Amino acid sequence: MATRALDLPHHDAPAEATGVWSWITTVDHKRIGILYGVSAFAFFLLGGIEALILRLQLARPANTVVGADTFNALFTMHGTTMVFLAIMPFGSAFFNYLVPLMIGARDVAFPRLNALSYWIFLTGGLFLNASFLVGAPPDAGWFGYANLTTRPFSPGLNIDFWLLSLQILGVSSMIAAVNFIVTIINMRPPGMTLMRMPVFVWMTLVVQFLIVLAFPPVTVGLIFLMFDRFFGTLFYDVVAGADLHLWQHLFWIFGHPEVYILILPAFGIVSEVLPTFARKPLFGAPVVIYSGVLIGFFGFSVWSHHMFAAGMGPVADSAFSIATMIIAIPTGVKIFNWLATLWGGRIRGTTALHFAVGLIATFTIGGLSGIMHSSPPVDLQQTDSYFVVAHLHYVLIGGSLIGLLAGAYYWWPKITGRLLDERLGRLSFWVIFLAFNLTFFPQHYLGAMGMPRRIYTYAASTGWGTWNLVSTIGAFGIALGILVFAVNAIRSLRVGPRAPADPWDGRTLEWRTSSPPPPHDFDTIPAVYGRDTFWREKHGDARGRKPTPLPPAPDPHGIHLPAPSHWPIVMALGIGTAALGALTHLAIVVLGGLVTLYGAFRFALEHHRAVAHADQTGTVGVDHRKVGVWVFLGSECMLFGTLIATYMAYKGRSVVGPHPHEILNIPLTTLSTFDLLMSSLLMVLALAAAQRDDRRQARFWLFGTAVFGLIFLGFQAYEFTHFVREGLTLQQNLFGSTFFVLTGFHGGHVALGVLWLLTLWILDVRGRLSAVDSVKVEIAGLYWHFVDVVWIAIFTLVYLVP
Amino acid sequence: MGILGRARLLPRLGLAGVVALASGCTWNGPQTTLVPVSDFARETLRVYGIVTWATVVIAAVVVSVLSWVLLRYRDRPDAPLPPQTRGHALLEIGWTIAPALVLLVIAIPTIHVVFRTQSAPPTGALEVIVRGRQWWWEFAYPAYQLATANELHLPVGRPAVLRLEGPDVIHSFWIPQLGGKRDVVPGRHNHLSFTPDTPGTFLGQCAEFCGTSHANMLLRLVVESPDAFERWVASERAPAVQPQAGPAADGAGAFAASACVGCHTVRGVSSGVVGPDLTHFGRRATVGAGMLPNTVDNVTAWILDPPRIKPGVKMPALGLTEAQARSIAVYLLSLK
Repeated sequence: MATRALDLPHHDAPAEATGVWSWITTVDHKRIGILYGVSAFAFFLLGGIEALILRLQLARPANTVVGADTFNALFTMHGTTMVFLAIMPFGSAFFNYLVPLMIGARDVAFPRLNALSYWIFLTGGLFLNASFLVGAPPDAGWFGYANLTTRPFSPGLNIDFWLLSLQILGVSSMIAAVNFIVTIINMRPPGMTLMRMPVFVWMTLVVQFLIVLAFPPVTVGLIFLMFDRFFGTLFYDVVAGADLHLWQHLFWIFGHPEVYILILPAFGIVSEVLPTFARKPLFGAPVVIYSGVLIGFFGFSVWSHHMFAAGMGPVADSAFSIATMIIAIPTGVKIFNWLATLWGGRIRGTTALHFAVGLIATFTIGGLSGIMHSSPPVDLQQTDSYFVVAHLHYVLIGGSLIGLLAGAYYWWPKITGRLLDERLGRLSFWVIFLAFNLTFFPQHYLGAMGMPRRIYTYAASTGWGTWNLVSTIGAFGIALGILVFAVNAIRSLRVGPRAPADPWDGRTLEWRTSSPPPPHDFDTIPAVYGRDTFWREKHGDARGRKPTPLPPAPDPHGIHLPAPSHWPIVMALGIGTAALGALTHLAIVVLGGLVTLYGAFRFALEHHRAVAHADQTGTVGVDHRKVGVWVFLGSECMLFGTLIATYMAYKGRSVVGPHPHEILNIPLTTLSTFDLLMSSLLMVLALAAAQRDDRRQARFWLFGTAVFGLIFLGFQAYEFTHFVREGLTLQQNLFGSTFFVLTGFHGGHVALGVLWLLTLWILDVRGRLSAVDSVKVEIAGLYWHFVDVVWIAIFTLVYLVP
Repeated sequence: MGILGRARLLPRLGLAGVVALASGCTWNGPQTTLVPVSDFARETLRVYGIVTWATVVIAAVVVSVLSWVLLRYRDRPDAPLPPQTRGHALLEIGWTIAPALVLLVIAIPTIHVVFRTQSAPPTGALEVIVRGRQWWWEFAYPAYQLATANELHLPVGRPAVLRLEGPDVIHSFWIPQLGGKRDVVPGRHNHLSFTPDTPGTFLGQCAEFCGTSHANMLLRLVVESPDAFERWVASERAPAVQPQAGPAADGAGAFAASACVGCHTVRGVSSGVVGPDLTHFGRRATVGAGMLPNTVDNVTAWILDPPRIKPGVKMPALGLTEAQARSIAVYLLSLK
């Protein structure tokens, strides 16, 4: 055990607040991580019970445990819950708790935004499950293919619950992604270059980029579905000329990166656990990092391998087949590097190591069945059958869940300050591992014998009964293993032995502070001079030399922790209310919207930073907020890109008029475009005034920009009402649906920009927008100019191009 | 006993598992993907075999190396820290190129078969329009001007093309022994072309979740000699042979007087198009899209209360008595 270079807290540090209100208003990344973890576990148990009922129904042919509708709702909820409410938030729990510790930071870049992500997530999860309370759980699969999900074929509230929940959850994930990208890029300690970051932090970074870029397309797809269901648009209306592949493309452009979002955290965890217990560094760490980045990047090129049966044609099939095979290469490289990490090591068989090794075995099987699916002719026999059900559970349980459990056993001492029992831990591993294989390996065979997925029953004559029964028995075994884990956890919390700061002789910075860490994480921010700095401080390098520690970066003003806030939960409640209103009454939507906007306004105005602390420049020399806005604008590119692409795809497919050339008013729109471009000029003037501390001028130009924005919206309001009078409505034809949604969302962005500008104006009036705060004007300007550029694209493609 | 002691058990457990699995496994279930009866299925199985071998070999290598490493390098008390190797460039290059080569072996036959199996069907291929509906299958043969439901007949040895159309939601046509599946996408025109080469009866079912009774949308394919096929076509094209006397005739009267005629076609009697064509219902093996054998008792039960047998079905219970339903059942089964 190391004796030096530990950063144990002083006895006079203030005690952490306790009580329910302190947890509701917390902005501490550690507490938020625990909130995510506990919520994820609760939803995981719910999703698990849903699975057990499914397996009971399928255990025998022609079984009557549940009927068709209940079964269809259960598999929908099982999939949606496990993906969005269990695995993703388990990952978030680890990101939240560990990333700041691993990079020697005291918290994430935007602590209140972090809390906001959690409360919005919880709102989404509760909203989804509230559907059970009204007897309308979603029942069209976790992937909700249109047009089964359109109102004619799904008339009840079921799909409404589903699509509203997913959008709420998407907002939560996106906000968290921006937060973590800024944290990782901009809050690293001196000496920690990107390549010296732990692999877990790297995988987290890739995951957040995947979220930022992949969620917007499915958000747009869900918006189209929502508008079809609530407002009668025609995005998925075949009679009106729609193409049902649109939903599938939008869903899977998200859905495939989503599976990498689900697995990369587990890969990151294994990359930390194996070196610690093999007592040697991760083999080929740079290559493992590059592989992760490549997997994330190529993950955007393979989505239509979920559509090989959909009839895209041989050229598309072949292209996506080859892209899918290419992704197998960096994945395999990671596995080989993990094996090489163990090779030549001194392997300690802790529970965490068992789970990490288990992942290598089961993820390899899952990855290999994935390679089988990459070949379209073979996939046509396997997709939509139990073969692919086996594949996805091998990678999601055998990969993601087992990896997360490795992380749980590894970091439990750090998070709780107690040790888990190793014997119970190994027992839980073996029960889960063996039961898991018993449950899902036979499903490969069932798929090969032609059993489709998502069927609530089957005839005895199919011959599928025996292995379905075996699979069900295995499922209950998994439940037993989880129970053993839960027992271990509860016992540890109550009577477990206290954990030292560094129980495993770890390699990364989180082991440098106490277990659990104090509220401020580290007394002094450590300096870093290589990967595995902490290990080298303890054991020296290959020649036994221990580094002379660089002086740590001093905190000039002492340790300040961000103050707690209740505005995040208020905003989340507003969002939940608005969603409820969508199912009940428009007045409730308005109420929820107003609460959310008011909460956002108070959130924005909450903190008075002293002039000395106004600067938030980070590791790369840029203000946190600027980095954050750039990341956000990246997601906005995907959002508008998807809306524009849909407009272009549906161009010329309207079955009835009015058509664009008959109704668009180019001269008038040219005027409004000019107005919007001029508003950008005024914004530039506002920023210049703010930077030279001319507050009066800044107020003048900010107000002017807002006025020009309102003029643009006025033009748009006139255009919309004129079109409706001429017979072009949302519901009239595909042109109406795509035009109004695209330009309407753009107008919504302008409107939110106007509100943002007015908030800045109010800040200035209150004396809180001096030169040091000019970055607030700058980032509003970035957003405003971006919305302008998007308009130029829309104006060109919709109005000018025939 | 830690993981490393148990690692010795693992190979033995694994072998026992494989033996158990193999003895419980037959290749030839009714909806197997592994016994081909068409050129499409045979081409597919060829690639399937290559891909399976490649993956099994890789799995064996990885699991073996993993097991060996866990045994060989387990912790010993008082052993020194191991050499802190950080990497090896040549190894990285090697194990990047090796998987790429394996993937090449998989990719080449894959692309080949993708294009061969999706090429345009030959002229003279027998065309069948397949309409997938919630939750039954309609088959129309334009060349012969006949329509039937749930049972597809094809002559052995003659190229066929199924044109997949969808009036409601997305379904997927899958008869595994015939080959892979293809989605029925409303508004799009997918097709499957193949030549069946083995006579027999082959089963399948819808393979894209399509609502409440997705599980109950079964398929039956009869591949027969060209002569037998021509005879089937001739009898299907003929109008319904109405019974002249007996209980079937009573049933004919009951059918013609009831709401059945609004949804079903019996050529010469009624022309409803909401439900399946029943003109030669008596020659089919099943009722309810493959759910039950076509017996008087089963058809009676179906007519009395369709949603009880097939949840969500569009056909309502018409409030008939058991006697009325039985009478209509006898009539329908007489329609050969």
